[in-house]
Amino acid sequence: MPKTKLSYKVGQFLMFAGPAALLFALVVIVPFFYGLYLTFTSWDGVSLQKPFVGLSNYSAVVADTDFWGSLGITVIYSVITVVVTNVVAFLLAFLVTSGIKGQNIFRAGFFIPNLIGGIVLGYVWKFIFNRAFVSIASGITGATVPSLLSTTNGAIFCLIFVSVWQYAGYMMLIYIAGFMSVDASLKEAALIDGCSPRQAMWHVTIPLMRSSFVTCIFLSTTRCFMVYDINLSLTNGEPFGSSVLAAMHVYRKAFTEKNYGVGQAEALVLFIICAVIGLLQVYIGKKGEVEA
Amino acid sequence: MNNSWKRIGTTALAALAAVGMLASCGGGGDSAGGDSDTLTIFNSKSEIQSQFEEMAEKYTEETGVKTEVYYSSDTISAHLSTRYASHNPYVLSMVDAKDIYSLGPDHALDLSGEDWVSDTTQAISVDGKVLGFPVSIEARGLMYNADAIEAITGEEFNPEDYQTLDAFEDLIDELKAGGMETPTGVLKEDWSLAGHYLPQVYEEREDPTAFLEDLHNGDVDLNSDAKFTSLMDTFDVLMENNYAKDSAISAEREVTSQNFAEGKIAFLFGGNWDWAVINQYDYTDGLGIMPVPQNTDDGSNTKLVGGGSKYFFIDSSSDVTDEQRQMAKDFLNWLVTDPEGQDFIVNTCSMVSPFASNTLEPSDPLGASVKQYSDAGNLIGNFNGLPDDHYSVLGADFQKYLAGQSSREEFAAAIESYWAGADMSNVESLANDTSSSSSTTDDAAANDAATDDGATE
Repeated sequence: MPKTKLSYKVGQFLMFAGPAALLFALVVIVPFFYGLYLTFTSWDGVSLQKPFVGLSNYSAVVADTDFWGSLGITVIYSVITVVVTNVVAFLLAFLVTSGIKGQNIFRAGFFIPNLIGGIVLGYVWKFIFNRAFVSIASGITGATVPSLLSTTNGAIFCLIFVSVWQYAGYMMLIYIAGFMSVDASLKEAALIDGCSPRQAMWHVTIPLMRSSFVTCIFLSTTRCFMVYDINLSLTNGEPFGSSVLAAMHVYRKAFTEKNYGVGQAEALVLFIICAVIGLLQVYIGKKGEVEA
Repeated sequence: MNNSWKRIGTTALAALAAVGMLASCGGGGDSAGGDSDTLTIFNSKSEIQSQFEEMAEKYTEETGVKTEVYYSSDTISAHLSTRYASHNPYVLSMVDAKDIYSLGPDHALDLSGEDWVSDTTQAISVDGKVLGFPVSIEARGLMYNADAIEAITGEEFNPEDYQTLDAFEDLIDELKAGGMETPTGVLKEDWSLAGHYLPQVYEEREDPTAFLEDLHNGDVDLNSDAKFTSLMDTFDVLMENNYAKDSAISAEREVTSQNFAEGKIAFLFGGNWDWAVINQYDYTDGLGIMPVPQNTDDGSNTKLVGGGSKYFFIDSSSDVTDEQRQMAKDFLNWLVTDPEGQDFIVNTCSMVSPFASNTLEPSDPLGASVKQYSDAGNLIGNFNGLPDDHYSVLGADFQKYLAGQSSREEFAAAIESYWAGADMSNVESLANDTSSSSSTTDDAAANDAATDDGATE
């Protein structure tokens, strides 16, 4: 059979990519467009009727101040988490590739938080914040110290702290791969040419690791914007609904308040924001990438 | 030759993979509801899931009906909606009362002809059709630990002596003087504050629907409302003497319940469902539930608030066969009339049966209290028509009040502004359907307008 014939190409494609494409269509593409359709209805999630209401769900989204509030909190949470996660991950990666004793154990140790599911992790940290830290602080000061989780800024801080703790190990692995991919001879050459180790890091290693940064920042940004599990188990939106992040707001809107159309429309807004930020950031990152 | 073998092998593998995936998709579809000889039951009470599974096994052995019990920790309506979307509903689903109103008209079978309907006052009807089978009775009130109280006062604790806030405060003072520095606890969960405590403001009056419509139209000034005032005055006392006063909104339910069970605190607002938490600790025997003390003379301080909790409905769609529906009906009758079914509800699951013919005495002290008030007709009915976001939105505002970050005026204003913009469809659906109001509401809360002496502080 000639390998240039269309039927051959189609056959080959179907054989290798067909199952995956089919599944992708079934669980991503079709629900996406079905969801898009639902944003034009006032469906409550269980009713048999899906009354068509045009664009009124979107005007409800614009008018939903709680949604924009939670989106604002999500942006603050994401920016801080992404920056801190990547700084910490980079430093950890630098540490465990610099040849210190037992670095493999450290690598495993820093990575382990990632293997614990977000829900479990949230409950574990909730216990630590609410009981362990409170008893320690109360023991030291002698007075009852309120838990960090019961203050509005404290709850967001706890969310950021736990997220960084969880994500940093994963990002560290990517940075380690980045460090390994930089040829030692290049660094050596820079050092021989009179660079200080810091200059070599700044001018040689980091530019060559650019793709690692792009990947890590992309991954951590999208993860942060979509975060739900830690939010649910650690704070559950408390205190006074001040730590409800965007995904949780969407879930509550759609399922708890049985406002499926509006919730779905808000999810779409969230999706568009994530997509724009993600694509923009990858585009900018890739533009300046250097090949070694 | 070699090449073609490879090709055949690859094709075969790919085909196998594709078929396997499709098969698993299809297989998932009819694993539960599709077997027309199986009675699938959805249980939404996590604490009785293992009991339900054991019961299903025994039930299958005895009656030959294949029974499967499912549980999900998801929001009930969210979980059921996925089952409806996949045309794979449960034959029998346990839901909350409000779900019967929202799901029932579309999905539930008319059970008006069943024998058990006349045996209970708690069944839910929508548009004149009985759709919801009550599983148990749950009621709210102030839980007390009589052992802890008696250890300090030295005399027998009789809840009926403490119906007014004034008397209750005297008791609190006595307990404090006797060494129990903080005699109360407050659950900070939004469902407890704004799902259980706050709704009493609506429920303890003659016509909750009319009141909520007035509230919606801005015709109510909560700060001068006698019921709001008397309930909040009591709440202030509970809040003031809270063992976790400084960390009220991070106090964990488990710790609070443990303190209550062990008698470190004497009072906690809750209901008989709290038994599932309390019985995990080293509880003392003298627990019970009493009406929330209030300075009022409308009679609401002599009654608990509650009624049917958790309802079964039978699916009416074409995805379920008539044989399955019959199995479900038989099962419901078994729960009501068969001694084993009755025993299962009361003793195995520690629930209070809503059926008059089930005379078994509840095995837990909280349930026994509820049964006592229920038998005497001293239950003020639940109001099941609150908007779905009521407890989460006002729960946040109530937590602010609990944390001391807002005043009572601000809290009242938050409630008023919530209702001004609230989705009234749930309230209205209840208003249109008079037959649905549970029978106990009528005699409740006679004249709350007359009392303005609630404010004692």
